[in-house]
Amino acid sequence: MATAAAIHAVIAPGWDMVVAMLVGAAIGTTVHLAAMALCGPFLGMWQVMVPGSIIGMYGGMLFGMRNSMQAAGWAEVLIVGALLGICAVAAVQIYDGVLRGPRAGAE
Amino acid sequence: MIDAARRKWDRAARTYDFVTRADERRYGRAKQQLFETMHGRCLMLAVGTGHDLAHCPPGLTIHALDISRAMLERAREPAAHYPGRVMLVQMDARRLAFRDATFDSIATVCTFCSVPDPVVGLRELHRVLKPDGRLLLFEHVRSRVGPIAMMQDLLTPLSRRLGPDLNRDTFGNVARAGFRVVREENVYLDIVKAGEAVRGVG
Repeated sequence: MATAAAIHAVIAPGWDMVVAMLVGAAIGTTVHLAAMALCGPFLGMWQVMVPGSIIGMYGGMLFGMRNSMQAAGWAEVLIVGALLGICAVAAVQIYDGVLRGPRAGAE
Repeated sequence: MIDAARRKWDRAARTYDFVTRADERRYGRAKQQLFETMHGRCLMLAVGTGHDLAHCPPGLTIHALDISRAMLERAREPAAHYPGRVMLVQMDARRLAFRDATFDSIATVCTFCSVPDPVVGLRELHRVLKPDGRLLLFEHVRSRVGPIAMMQDLLTPLSRRLGPDLNRDTFGNVARAGFRVVREENVYLDIVKAGEAVRGVG
């Protein structure tokens, strides 16, 4: 949500899509780093860093492109941002469940 | 390089316990399980502020090393509470002042993400570990998942200024230093891992 809001405040319709994508990734990564510094000590560094980087870097690209193409309202921006955040955190948790445990290959 | 590393970890000592408090809660049990086989003369590398001593079985004699004097100062209290013998020593992992085959167990917690020249440090561990000894590793490593690995690569130049590298191939380095990895377990994704290694041939 924070990523989507920050990008919405900066990138407006009419931006070149590639520039919007790059700027979106940069803003998203900055928001992610701030979230990591604030939330990492309470939730776990990796637990914030991994979904945060997906939302920040890759989500930032998507939000940047979206904002360059269409005029979206704040409500839509925040709802879609929250949805992406929930999906990213859930996907990482499911993947963690898949990967966790002894790794084949070691003796 | 060694002075820079020492200064970095001296600075980090001020906030280390606060920054790692959630990680300590999450991974404490996994560390305890990993360390339950520690026995005999033990070496704990990069003991930091000493909170990992609480996960060691009681009654051991542990040489607990760190490059940072500030970290060791903070480790005094946990060391005093450990029900065994802990000797806190300031030492560089790449130049250990111990004889060959001294230790039965060596434990590392998030150590080889930070040691410059990790293979050199691990070869030192290989030297001071007894032939039937065990190296116990709790380390974070570079993911094999492309998008996550890319993020780790991108953030490492920043994280290195404040603390560890995020993208080390520590289990690969363990093998490069002459160990044989006998157990490798994912604790969080394929980034945070617990493992055991023994001295390989040669």
